Amino acid sequence: MKKVCNLAFLLISLTIFSQEIPEISLKKLDGTTFNTKVLNDSIQKPIVVSFWATWCIPCINELSAIHENIEDWKSEAQFDFYAISTDDARSSKKAKALVDGKGWEYIVLLDDNQDFKRALNIANIPYLLIIKNGKIIHKSQGYTPGKEEEILQILKDNQ
Amino acid sequence: MIKKALLVGIISLQTIAFAQLTVGVESNSQWYIDDDEIKLGEVEGEDRLRTNSYIKTDYKINDFTVGAQVELYETKALLNYSPDLQGINLGTYYVNYANKENGLDVTVGHFYEQFGSGLALRTWEDRQIGILNSLMGGKVKYNYKDYLDVVALYGKQRIGLGFDLADSSVYGTDLNIDLSKVLGMENKELTVGGSFVSRNQSTDNPNLTPTTNMISSRIGFGKGNFSISAEYVLKSKDKYYGLIQSDKQFDGNAALLNLSYSKKGIGFNATIRRLENFRYFSERDLANNTFNVGILHYVPALTKQFDYSLTNIYVYQAQSKLVIDESTASINKSGEIGGQLDFFYTFPKGSKIGGKNGMNLNVNYSLWRRLKTDYNYQGFDYKAAFLDSDETYYTDLSAEIKKKWSQNVRSNIVYVYQKYNRKLVEDAENATFINAHTLVADNTILFGSNKAIRFELQHMWADTYFKNWAAGLVEFFFNRNLSMYIQENYNYGNEGNDLFTAPLHYYNAGVVYTKNATRVQASYGRQRGGLHCVGGVCRYVPENSGLSLGIVTNF
Repeated sequence: MKKVCNLAFLLISLTIFSQEIPEISLKKLDGTTFNTKVLNDSIQKPIVVSFWATWCIPCINELSAIHENIEDWKSEAQFDFYAISTDDARSSKKAKALVDGKGWEYIVLLDDNQDFKRALNIANIPYLLIIKNGKIIHKSQGYTPGKEEEILQILKDNQ
Repeated sequence: MIKKALLVGIISLQTIAFAQLTVGVESNSQWYIDDDEIKLGEVEGEDRLRTNSYIKTDYKINDFTVGAQVELYETKALLNYSPDLQGINLGTYYVNYANKENGLDVTVGHFYEQFGSGLALRTWEDRQIGILNSLMGGKVKYNYKDYLDVVALYGKQRIGLGFDLADSSVYGTDLNIDLSKVLGMENKELTVGGSFVSRNQSTDNPNLTPTTNMISSRIGFGKGNFSISAEYVLKSKDKYYGLIQSDKQFDGNAALLNLSYSKKGIGFNATIRRLENFRYFSERDLANNTFNVGILHYVPALTKQFDYSLTNIYVYQAQSKLVIDESTASINKSGEIGGQLDFFYTFPKGSKIGGKNGMNLNVNYSLWRRLKTDYNYQGFDYKAAFLDSDETYYTDLSAEIKKKWSQNVRSNIVYVYQKYNRKLVEDAENATFINAHTLVADNTILFGSNKAIRFELQHMWADTYFKNWAAGLVEFFFNRNLSMYIQENYNYGNEGNDLFTAPLHYYNAGVVYTKNATRVQASYGRQRGGLHCVGGVCRYVPENSGLSLGIVTNF
């Protein structure tokens, strides 16, 4: 019995801890602190994390394309969406005006010295991650028109 | 005994289970091939096959992370990267302990950090422009109850490969307090912060002080849709960095104010900044290097960052230099003052202008001017006005429209006006203002389930220097993974100009393959010479042509 317990414990720890998101302190748009540990804590619901910047045209195209369909998506799948702005001090102050101006409802976080991006070893943006139960289940780099359909399918498959 | 062995086995397996390895690889290679019109210089042409490659490995075990970045520059680094980057060596290495529960985050080895907006201190990595200016030493961050953040650090700056460090020490401390949380304010955000940074470089010159300090204070306030933030940084006396040799030391300062108002569908942001003699290097002698080596802080140009090829020809760079030189009196300067406005608006779906799918509008305006300054050449001194200015460095006005015409057709239309004072920005005494109007139409058409074509048309009307340009790009997406593009930037207006002899085509064609986190790109063509800028920091690249191969992946 004890062996079974130990084995079960081992398996659980494997699944939960093997693909952890690094714990980095980021800022929310209102200036308050947000620790990325939260992204590991959500269970059941998948989490989409998209790295972007105000000056990155493909990033804006990707987030705009998803924004256009987000109401339909919400009716088909449950998920949280984080948009991580990698804008540095040159443009990070614009991020809030841009996000509101475009009417986006993503949870936007500022990674203005790219600590989070670096910890995940991401070289270029746009870069999109899907996390479920603290584990990265999808990574993709770049944006090709129509990619959003693939993202929706992954979210639907992971409900 | 078996029980014990089992326990040990489980514990060790658990350690493996808790640990994780992540690896990031980036490799950019160029094979420079001369053609009829574009040739490399003799020295540069000696090594034609060059690569910049980076492999970063991080190993996380419980609260500890151990990492290293190995860098390879063979036979040399790409054109106009620092010549100190050559061969294969460790770039950075570190051990980090971070625990959210007790609020501690400790790093020993190489680290990156930014205080406030970076005016007082910023170390960061931007491989595209050769910025690899981490500090090597130790850093302790402490967070208390989500409202107090303290950082203390010490290090020597990386100026080449991993063991090549600046001949100075940098100490810094930073404090941020979320007062709205401390005071229990509701629906308001009030934050205050301050930093102290000191660079200590010993010197035999009795007229120079070994330390130069930065003292920064910051405040931020937000309520509802409105927010305001301000930062003031004072720099203590530092060597004069102009071409004239002088032991005279000058202090400097920077002031930054940001205002923002936004609600759903509308966003407004304004930034005002004044800089006076505000440059900061880990070694005094690194002040005038062209490779971005030894930079200790971040003073970006606060203008819109454009992403289209023709809008990136006349790029402003923040003017924080002090120049006191009677022989070049017309291009003397002590700093800049100016600002930037951004406006974002969505015409809603169903409105007259918005149409069926809505439309996004972004308008940006910026104006940067030279501080009015009185020079005393005999006493080698200056006095800058606080708000008064006397000549424009740069101004731009742009409007960008993003429109979805139908389910499958969408466009970005961009218009930019730029007025660029080449004389002052590039220290070119006989140069003049350049007035440039640029129009870009970037269109994407989707067809089938995953095919798309993107075509970009650009034109620039400029009254002098490079004069007119026309550009076009066609990119075809065969599926999610594979795309091909062909691009042409044609500088047809330069004919008859004394700078250039004939119109020049800068053509380029390439293939991009992307799958999950991997991207492979191969292209052949010509690259325009000039400044290549990321985040307002620029690297000069000479005109070149040839084959390039880029590989990026992580796992």
